[in-house]
Amino acid sequence: MSNTSPTSVLLSVSASPFWHCGRTVRAHRYHTLLALLPAVLLAIWHWGLPAARVMALAIVTGVAVEALCQRLMGRELSIDDFSGVVACLLFAFLLPAASPWWLVMLGATLCITLGKMAFGGLGANPLNTSLVGWALLYVSWPVLMDPNAMQLTTQYIDPLVRLKYFGAESVASISLTDLLLGKQIGALGASQTLALLLGGIYLATRGIIRWEISAGFIMGVVVMAAIFHTVNPVQYASPFFHMLTGSTILGAFFLATEPASSPDRQIPMMFYGLLGGAMVIIIRIFGEYTDGVPFAILLVNLLSPLLDSIRPKPFGGK
Amino acid sequence: MKQRFQILNDPRFHLVYGISQRFSDGPSPSKVRLNREGFTLAQNVKKKAVVHSGMLLAEHPSIEKGDLFSPIYGEITEINERSIFISALPQPPDTPEVEPVDLLQEGLEGDELVMRCKKMGLNTRSLGCRCETLIINGLNPDPGVTWTEPMLNSHIRTFHAAMELHRRMGRFKNVILAIPQGSHLSYDGVKTVHVPAEYPNSLNPLLIKNVTGEENPEGFGCIGLHNLWSLGRVGRTGLPLTETVITIGSYEHSGNYIVKDGSTVGELLDFARIALKDHDTVVRGGPLRGESVDRLDRSITKGTYGLFVVEAGTIPPMEGHSSCINCGACVLICPARLSPSNLSRYAEFALHERCRKEHIDICMDCGLCGYVCIARRPVLQYIRLAKQKLAEKDAQKQREEIKITSA
Repeated sequence: MSNTSPTSVLLSVSASPFWHCGRTVRAHRYHTLLALLPAVLLAIWHWGLPAARVMALAIVTGVAVEALCQRLMGRELSIDDFSGVVACLLFAFLLPAASPWWLVMLGATLCITLGKMAFGGLGANPLNTSLVGWALLYVSWPVLMDPNAMQLTTQYIDPLVRLKYFGAESVASISLTDLLLGKQIGALGASQTLALLLGGIYLATRGIIRWEISAGFIMGVVVMAAIFHTVNPVQYASPFFHMLTGSTILGAFFLATEPASSPDRQIPMMFYGLLGGAMVIIIRIFGEYTDGVPFAILLVNLLSPLLDSIRPKPFGGK
Repeated sequence: MKQRFQILNDPRFHLVYGISQRFSDGPSPSKVRLNREGFTLAQNVKKKAVVHSGMLLAEHPSIEKGDLFSPIYGEITEINERSIFISALPQPPDTPEVEPVDLLQEGLEGDELVMRCKKMGLNTRSLGCRCETLIINGLNPDPGVTWTEPMLNSHIRTFHAAMELHRRMGRFKNVILAIPQGSHLSYDGVKTVHVPAEYPNSLNPLLIKNVTGEENPEGFGCIGLHNLWSLGRVGRTGLPLTETVITIGSYEHSGNYIVKDGSTVGELLDFARIALKDHDTVVRGGPLRGESVDRLDRSITKGTYGLFVVEAGTIPPMEGHSSCINCGACVLICPARLSPSNLSRYAEFALHERCRKEHIDICMDCGLCGYVCIARRPVLQYIRLAKQKLAEKDAQKQREEIKITSA
């Protein structure tokens, strides 16, 4: 074919750069869903169909609400970027498998409306989308949101409840392997520690989440717990116990790393992670809540604009 | 770290391509289109006039801008405010020929030589400012552009002619040639420094930093190899400059050609045997910083260093209405340590003054922000828009001040 005639082909005109790394919002969410898949499967393995029910219900409700909101706001539909799916799946991961249907639907609705669309949609939320819904439900129906109170027909125990009310010695016998494999009472997805750890490492090496945040978060948990544990090993559990219980790993890799509500630069990201991790242990030891991860992350979310103001001088140092 | 965690993991960004093949001559164009904005037409240059290769068409009043010469033998078909169009004619045997001038023999120096070069069609502004130490940028300017290595390896005599002429211009005291790490080039009397050959290190501020270890040190200037080659070309041939070296590249093909000033994009792509499909993008300049053209009869100019085809469907399409999702990739990648996310949003909502507070003037225009943007926002375009608006505003302010002081 000849190119000499100026009108022989229809050229696309665009703005530079004309090369691209190939990553898109949707591809990032695909990878995130892929990283969550092992945890989804393990959650169904451990908690059966009720877990599948909660996850499916949360996703369907969330996506429908998102579509409705976008319609009402006169926006273009963007549910096909799967960000709503990821947010609602992460929300479902924080629920007990036996949650009543209305609680799941209400929570997913709150996540999308108050956690995301109220601020203008994807990327504009100052707080983690999934945690906003979770926190509202948790303060309203603390019993229904407590896995230990909801999961009555299981032989597993809730290690954090045991730690809180019976002391560190009572949990010393719990094997870390059991915790890794998710043989513990906890939120349906958050307790699948090993699966989440693998998924999280996958995302970090792909550069989809920022490893600085995850590393900082885990370091915060481990260092803070180690300090307490060294001071009084009878009263305070080991750092590894804290790392593998509750939703620490889910928080470190999937919740704290939500880009919109976390800082952008390396040093602030590390601070952010460290503060979040340390806060988890402080809440677990001195607070009323057994887990502490969701509230710790919400708190550091609030700090992230402040942390973002730690920035290097621009090139040439003005 | 950036490489390891996949934010920037594009092998194409390694600016060494191992090419040593000499440049091929481009096609003899059937028509050319030359930019004449700011030029004064020479005598007898009007519509239907027959011009020959190397004939003076127009002069520029500034010493910094080279005069305009006809690249081919042909007839002027149209002259408008922006361009001169020439259609090629078969060359009769008695065509007058331009007498070559041996600039090296002439022995001119300093500003006289600069003026002579301008009269030979060279843009003397791009030959580097006056400075203590001049760094020759021996890296390919954009990824995908591959002419640097042949210029340094295979066209050595042109390089030496250029160095000699440039030395006589007396614009610098010392000269350093910055070449890619691992390269074994050496030239008599030229100090070489090895720099990591990764984009964006080819941008002048970063090149100077890699050579000196300092950001924006005093007394350093840069010159692109492309401009130096043009100078050497004029020195070697003794003829007015009517050519440029470009890389013509597509996904599968890449080659370096010496092409006539004003050649049309369509003819060049034909010559390089690159077939276009609908919705392909044709880029004039480099793939990261260039501009896309809308028609195949657009032409390339002396400063053009590349012509690329980006096939439809190879990259996710840019979305002008896409909003920033705060992922922070651009902030992590920005070599100037700016926040392109903020800059682009300020520009999007016409808050240009805020861009100034965010140091938009430091932006090096590398385009990496747009390259990593997962929301496919035209980040670089927003930043360029804000820069343009601020420059217009400043010019307006200056005019008003002049009015007040003169009144």
